[in-house]
Amino acid sequence: MKRDYSERERYLLWLGFALGPGAKRYGRILAAFDGDARAAYEAAGRHDLPPECGLKSALVEKLCASANERFLDGCFKRLLELDVSAAALESPEYPALLKEIYDPPPVLYYRGTLLAEPALPIAVVGSRTPTEYGRKMAHALSRTLSESGACIVSGLAYGVDCIAALGALAAEDNPYPTIAVLGCGADVIYPAANRDVYEKIVARGAVVSEFLPGTKAFSSNFPMRNRIISGLSRGVLVVEAAAKSGTLITVDCALEQGRDVFALPGRVTDEKSEGTNALLREGQAKFTVSAEDILEEYGGMHAVKARAVPEPEDLPLEQALIRRLLLASERSFDELCELTGLSVPLLNSSLTEMEFSGIIKQSPGRVYSI
Amino acid sequence: MLSKIKSYGLMGIDGFAVSVEVYISAGIPAYDTVGLPDAAVRESKERVRAAIRNSGLEFPMQRITVNLAPADLRKEGSVYDLPVAIGLLAATGQISNTSFADEYLFLGELALDGTVRGVAGILPMVIGAYGQGVRKVIVPAENAAEASYIEGVSVYAAESLRSVVDFLNGKAALTPVPTRKWDRAHISYPMDFADIKGQQGAKRAAEIAVAGGHNLLLVGTPGSGKTMLARSIPSILPELTFEEALEITKIHSVAGTLHGTDGMVSERPFRAPHHSASTASLIGGGQRAMPGEISLAHYGVLFLDEFPEFRKDTLEALRQPMEDGSVTIARAAVRSTYPADFMLVAAMNPCPCGNYGSRIAQCRCTQQQITRYLGRISGPMLDRLDLHVEMSEVGYDDIAARSTGERSEVVRERVNAARRIQTERYKTEGILFNAQLTSRMTARYCALDAQAESLLRKAFASLKLSARAYTRILKVSRTIADLEGSEAIRAHHVAEAVQYRSLESKYWGDTRR
Repeated sequence: MKRDYSERERYLLWLGFALGPGAKRYGRILAAFDGDARAAYEAAGRHDLPPECGLKSALVEKLCASANERFLDGCFKRLLELDVSAAALESPEYPALLKEIYDPPPVLYYRGTLLAEPALPIAVVGSRTPTEYGRKMAHALSRTLSESGACIVSGLAYGVDCIAALGALAAEDNPYPTIAVLGCGADVIYPAANRDVYEKIVARGAVVSEFLPGTKAFSSNFPMRNRIISGLSRGVLVVEAAAKSGTLITVDCALEQGRDVFALPGRVTDEKSEGTNALLREGQAKFTVSAEDILEEYGGMHAVKARAVPEPEDLPLEQALIRRLLLASERSFDELCELTGLSVPLLNSSLTEMEFSGIIKQSPGRVYSI
Repeated sequence: MLSKIKSYGLMGIDGFAVSVEVYISAGIPAYDTVGLPDAAVRESKERVRAAIRNSGLEFPMQRITVNLAPADLRKEGSVYDLPVAIGLLAATGQISNTSFADEYLFLGELALDGTVRGVAGILPMVIGAYGQGVRKVIVPAENAAEASYIEGVSVYAAESLRSVVDFLNGKAALTPVPTRKWDRAHISYPMDFADIKGQQGAKRAAEIAVAGGHNLLLVGTPGSGKTMLARSIPSILPELTFEEALEITKIHSVAGTLHGTDGMVSERPFRAPHHSASTASLIGGGQRAMPGEISLAHYGVLFLDEFPEFRKDTLEALRQPMEDGSVTIARAAVRSTYPADFMLVAAMNPCPCGNYGSRIAQCRCTQQQITRYLGRISGPMLDRLDLHVEMSEVGYDDIAARSTGERSEVVRERVNAARRIQTERYKTEGILFNAQLTSRMTARYCALDAQAESLLRKAFASLKLSARAYTRILKVSRTIADLEGSEAIRAHHVAEAVQYRSLESKYWGDTRR
């Protein structure tokens, strides 16, 4: 983690610590002092903030009260304790793409490693309760993109967010596979069930947030977070979104910020695909069925690395039969029983063995697929 | 002026001899009952008085004291009406020959007109009395059937107080009810396995569960046939032995749920309490510590539909009886132990709306809702359900197309064979089937060969199974091997057993979000 902050950075961060999130007022104060945060700090220490700052009196008071070394040292000490680093807009590790947007967060808190220019950052967003199809595609696309060197940006919520991160982490050769943007403090794990994913991302990528460490996950934080997800990325892939999904906020941000939008088509009868299909129909998103569709937009510099799919050999007859059936489409246990004509005990044990060899996979409803 | 009549009282399904002592002395007319009587016993004086008068006999206008000995145990119910009335009549000399008092035991409630009414708990009382040397009992005609199965006891069916008195006075005959041999009546089950279309996987799980006495969890979308499968399980249960039937009948006799049977429960009980059931109704309780659903399901099936909808503390209370096979209910005044060796079949939807994992309908639940719903089933509870199985979804087209499969009697034959193997194997261990194996016995009887061992190791890694799941898989593997008639547990037995555990990581595990 970051331990050395430059003199200039210290005061830029001080303003962020004292004000909390919000790009506008931060910008106004800094403009009043010609971009010199130290001057602002000293003025606040003298209780002499100019009216151009346009602050409410309560905030002025707060700012003045915190303009002292004790507060500042306390803040840095706390960051160290929490293992959280902070980057101001001018800091060398502040992501270059994020600086381009209309209202970049003036201070970014992060755990892990923040890179100014990660290789091809692509956001993967979608429903919190995706269908099995959505799960499968989110994982497969994220993994392939990550294996080709891309960095997957997601929100670490339930559903597509988390699956995308897991898919990215599955690419073991990618040194910087994923960034997660949180709607709470960078040190807060929300939802708590994603702790293990969170830890993995911190170890290999970065967890970032514009909110002060310790901030709880208020629902109002999430739309703000979405602009960072798209802002960090060159393109946004929408996996599954219902007609009025929160995911579409991220898409709006992406379009405003001039990012590419990719959407995965779904069945017209699936309400979880209404949003993505609408994006495609209106021409706002690129029709995307594979990682190549995304990679070719970026000059093919990131060629898809073919992953060796182990071709099972010498399968026992019944396993070969099951595999052939599942290659055509997914099947429930009952259907397999009918179609193969195998006895239930034999079918059960064959399926277990195939699951362990990684040939097939079981999903809720006792449905098997390759 | 003193008489002593034998009767019997119950505590749980066991009981104690009660001596009904009636003493009549000169003095202001009064009637006192002592010996810890409950309200029903105290009220008996009104019934006794009316019944005696309406039977054309004389009720003494003297000071009457009735003592129910032993005086320190609570006496409950209306069963002492008849012995008290007989005692009164004997004490006033209206029954001339008093030698009967050592021979006969009296049980029964009186109607005001002198008719003898049936009471609950006759069977355990007669069995208990027999154990204490009684060979002749006079019971209500209504209860004669259940008492008549006990060999060595002459059971006299009493229609009315008058007929009993005439019999004791030698004026009329009362012939003992012939002892009946219990023959397993031809039971027709309302549901047969062949009635269920498709669901071969779930049927197989049910077969394994029954063969090894394992508990079963059924998960499936609404309408996938969970309830239907559960209701057909009694049709594949192994047949009752006489001893088992007797024990079940004892419990049902105490609970007063024998109506409509010919005195003996001849099929394994299937109890399906609604999910609003209170802890007391499920476990047993109430002022008189009556048996609950788990005891009424003794040697049978306790089916809990909509499992997560049960109150959490109610479900947790099931855990201890599930381990012990019996339950002790302690109340301020009573303390009763009832057997509760049941097979638990639980059914639940995969999520609150029921459509999670469905390929036909869309699930509208949030992940938190699903997590909360599944979270109502605690880990330790989940652990006691040896087999988890997901029902296949049934679409409209499937209903007609699916094959039906075997009839229940075919399956039952296999179950019986597997049970015989287990009974033989465990005859020195004091257990009956695989589900009852302790961890020490598991190590002894569920040894795996190298191939099976390595498969199980793989299963642990890939399914993230808990250590607790380990013994469960071993036991289920044991049953699967027994169904096949194989003494050794082979890899394919383990492989099948693992299928019935994979649900845990899929739904309760952390792999899905």
